[in-house]
Amino acid sequence: MAESRSNRAAVQATNDDASASKLSCVKKGYMKDDYVHLFVKRPLRRSPIINRGYFSRWAAFRKLLAQFLESGISSNETAQPKKQILSLGAGFDTTYFQLLDEGKAPFLYVELDFKEVTSKKAAVIENSSQLRDKILGANSSISVEEGQVLSDHYKLLPVDLRDIPKLRDVVSFAGMDLSLPTFIIAECVLIYLDPDSSRAIVNWASKTFSTAVFFLYEQIHPDDAFGHQMIINLESRGCALLSIDASPTLLAKERLFLENGWQRAVAWDMLKVYGSFVDTQEKRRIERLELFDEFEEWHMMQEHYCVTYAVNDAMGIFGDFGFTRGSRESMNISSAMSP
Amino acid sequence: MSDLDRQIEQLKRCEPLSESEVKSLCLKAMEILVEESNVQSVDAPVTLCGDIHGQFYDMMELFKVGGDCPKTNYLFLGDFVDRGYYSVETFLLLLALKVRYPDRITLIRGNHESRQITQVYGFYDECLRKYGSVNVWRYCTDIFDYMSLSAVVENKIFCVHGGLSPTINTLDQIRTIDRKQEVPHDGAMCDLLWSDPEDIVEGWGLSPRGAGFLFGGGVVMNFNHTNNIDYIGRAHQLVMEGYKWMFDSQIVTVWSAPNYCYRCGNIASILELDENLNKEFRVFQAAQQDSRGPPARKPAPDYFL
Repeated sequence: MAESRSNRAAVQATNDDASASKLSCVKKGYMKDDYVHLFVKRPLRRSPIINRGYFSRWAAFRKLLAQFLESGISSNETAQPKKQILSLGAGFDTTYFQLLDEGKAPFLYVELDFKEVTSKKAAVIENSSQLRDKILGANSSISVEEGQVLSDHYKLLPVDLRDIPKLRDVVSFAGMDLSLPTFIIAECVLIYLDPDSSRAIVNWASKTFSTAVFFLYEQIHPDDAFGHQMIINLESRGCALLSIDASPTLLAKERLFLENGWQRAVAWDMLKVYGSFVDTQEKRRIERLELFDEFEEWHMMQEHYCVTYAVNDAMGIFGDFGFTRGSRESMNISSAMSP
Repeated sequence: MSDLDRQIEQLKRCEPLSESEVKSLCLKAMEILVEESNVQSVDAPVTLCGDIHGQFYDMMELFKVGGDCPKTNYLFLGDFVDRGYYSVETFLLLLALKVRYPDRITLIRGNHESRQITQVYGFYDECLRKYGSVNVWRYCTDIFDYMSLSAVVENKIFCVHGGLSPTINTLDQIRTIDRKQEVPHDGAMCDLLWSDPEDIVEGWGLSPRGAGFLFGGGVVMNFNHTNNIDYIGRAHQLVMEGYKWMFDSQIVTVWSAPNYCYRCGNIASILELDENLNKEFRVFQAAQQDSRGPPARKPAPDYFL
């Protein structure tokens, strides 16, 4: 890795930045998260554009996740089919704890990150009864030193995602059942890795999980004026987007998945995601929370981030999964299909 | 050297004034601004400048390109504060120049020259951080209430921060507004500071900003015809190329904050009008990092990470 452009500590620090931004959103009422404050040392107030952007990302993520969790439930069955979630580069994300509160937690939730990060997260969990009490059971253990939290339904484990054999081992150690429907999360993670590693992870995930959704949120369009400045600004803080040139467009993001074994892949930029996927009622609610006077910049920023989801559907439960579920568009073949 | 000249030199080094200096500067500025019309008459030659938004070092680039005040006659179209890191120094320098050379610089009000907006977008926090109290913010926002709402260059070019209002047909109607107040949430004064021209709108449309209106080409044509105006000069919207004509050259947007918010990667421009109102746009880039001398902190704009 080019050390000045991209260094491990700086990339890991993006995690603190993201948590502070999420807390800023929570405090303004954009979304509910009773736990993120536990991970933020110095709360900050972000500008409305950042709050709204994090909200749109959260809303898109939660809506697709909800679709996944509802997939394959037929109306005459009451028992929830077993499902699992694998969060790559999870950072201080608190989704698992939120899902527990909502009664929607899957059978197994596995979070992976660099040991420096999982160790800090394990320490916060250990020191907070609010978190600790939720996962503690007969078979649970927390080790800050190992950067590890193990419980029946939640595991936090350290790994360098670029090391595929280790990744394979850790997923096996976590007790993931490769045949279960699996939701894989990678939010602003693969983009920091070199293109070969990103591809290898996408490829490994496709080969490993035959019934799965891969959720990707990250930057696109490095080549225009805004994108160029984004590259400069992030490189100057040591967070080079090493993979952005390998998949700089929506089409390239879809191709990244289709060429690495996924059956179906759809990429939308966040402007379209916010405009056409995020619930209208929710938008009405949050658009009243703060004065908002940054539309030109908002459009540009949102055009430089995207959500890509890819689907493998061996069990045939994800037929209408996606952005256009329930809409007229879903009747057409709107998504890219592999040959 | 007078106190005022010394303060101008100090501000040009991006060093803020003391609280008591700000107070007395604002009192002097108030005496000048209170005499100005809601449609302030400006003589050519003059140089039009759009949003600055506290980007002090980039405003220094602007003066390099456009020339120093008072040698160059300037008309700034508002939005001096918020977003950038140096709203205090930026606004105080412009205000000090106004007091020193009242006939060589005109400052009209933008939608960010408001108590409410500055509490969301940074100026309030910056004053609190730099002075430890909100007194300077109070002095400055009190001055905002006295700033003119628009200007007209040689009776031919109407200049305003945002745009037009459905309740305004003539310049005389603007002249009757009682402007000495916080920017209202609606009405003519609000619209002048908040509205935007929009290609796809015929007549008037709702603004996504929640204040002001969108207005189409027909509205602009009528207004210009009624008031015997050649075109409208306005700011308020980021344009990546620094300026943008719309509606058959009936309205132009001038944007003067390069690499807006240290994030957008755009270029900026100013519009030079000579004594015959011939136009020349001068475009400029953001200041180089090394010209942002210490203790200037390196911009670290936010992203979704």
